[in-house]
Amino acid sequence: MVVERDEHGFDAPVPLGHPARASMPTDRVYGPAIGTRLPDFTLVDAFDRTLRLHEDRGQAPAVVVFFRSAVW
Amino acid sequence: MRDAYPHFEAAGVKLYAVSYDDTEALRAFTEGQSIPYPLLSDIDSEVIRRYGILNDQVKPGDAMLYGIPYPGAFVCDESGLVTARFFHDSYKKRDSAETLLHAALGQVKVDDAGPQASTLEDTIGISLQIRGGGGRIRQGMIRHLVVRFDIPEGLHIYGAPAPEGMQALSIRVDGPDGLIIEPMNAPATAPLHLASMELDLNVWQGTPEFIIPLYANGVLASEVRPLDQETIELTVTASYQACDDATCLLPTTQTLHLTAPLDVVDIPQLAIHQGHGQREGNYDATPHMRRLLKRKIKKTPFKFLKFIWRSLRLERAGKARRGQKD
Repeated sequence: MVVERDEHGFDAPVPLGHPARASMPTDRVYGPAIGTRLPDFTLVDAFDRTLRLHEDRGQAPAVVVFFRSAVW
Repeated sequence: MRDAYPHFEAAGVKLYAVSYDDTEALRAFTEGQSIPYPLLSDIDSEVIRRYGILNDQVKPGDAMLYGIPYPGAFVCDESGLVTARFFHDSYKKRDSAETLLHAALGQVKVDDAGPQASTLEDTIGISLQIRGGGGRIRQGMIRHLVVRFDIPEGLHIYGAPAPEGMQALSIRVDGPDGLIIEPMNAPATAPLHLASMELDLNVWQGTPEFIIPLYANGVLASEVRPLDQETIELTVTASYQACDDATCLLPTTQTLHLTAPLDVVDIPQLAIHQGHGQREGNYDATPHMRRLLKRKIKKTPFKFLKFIWRSLRLERAGKARRGQKD
């Protein structure tokens, strides 16, 4: 395994240029902008229970985190 | 986030995490790591795509990687409107759970148990705290070094530009190689007009907090080898001058020291991470990886071979670069 640091000094178990190290470009804003409504969604959770975002959070403020994988 | 979740509950803020993993993988992760909030299975990345954060640099032929998002977080208020977004120019940079919670609350409420230091010279007290994750410094994990001034009533300190001959506030942080220190976020100054001298000044009063984001990169806390040290030392040097309406104290410099713990990266139990000295999760990710690969490559098996070939070529090119450097 070759260990290479990128321009931030971050390293990873795969070499530079590998798609696993591709990060968000800074040329534009990706995703819902501040002030717009967070798009609703219906997904199943880890125990196969269906969850609809705005219905589940009700009147509470919420944090929705998107992560790459729990597997690798 | 798991460790900070009690603060979310106490504050009435909901927390959700979304990935393209199937429910079986998310269940193993939830149980093995005792995750108290919902992990949601966006199995074909439909929500990721609809949100507009699909990593489009990763192609359908990139095996298990295809469908991943640019990682980050959205915060919404009671009515569901986005009030904050946390996305960065590297997939490695992440925000502390406390940062997300404070954004959801619109204020800092959590009393974090991170490393602290304080000093009181004869007039102005300065205290330091590292907020986020108990102050544990990890690769890419953005913590907040909070420099808080305790300015007695009647006194103020100056922001730049300070009046001629006066010391504007400056804060310098020194740390080890591989600790990345970002520009300081200062609270807004208040305008102060001194009629007697016909001066318009920008000052801070009371207990202003100056926030310096920082994180480790691979030089200090590598993902692929054990840590060289267990703690790091930070030195914070603050220079300022305090005045009241009539007189000024001498310009002052205070130096504080803080010790913060270093920590490794959390990784699943998977062959690619073995032997790197990081913290393994309490679940074997290998069967989940097998299912993930099957799901991703069953339509394009030939592309998977190309992916392996490309990965090997990248590895070879990387080794050649290292060979040239050494």
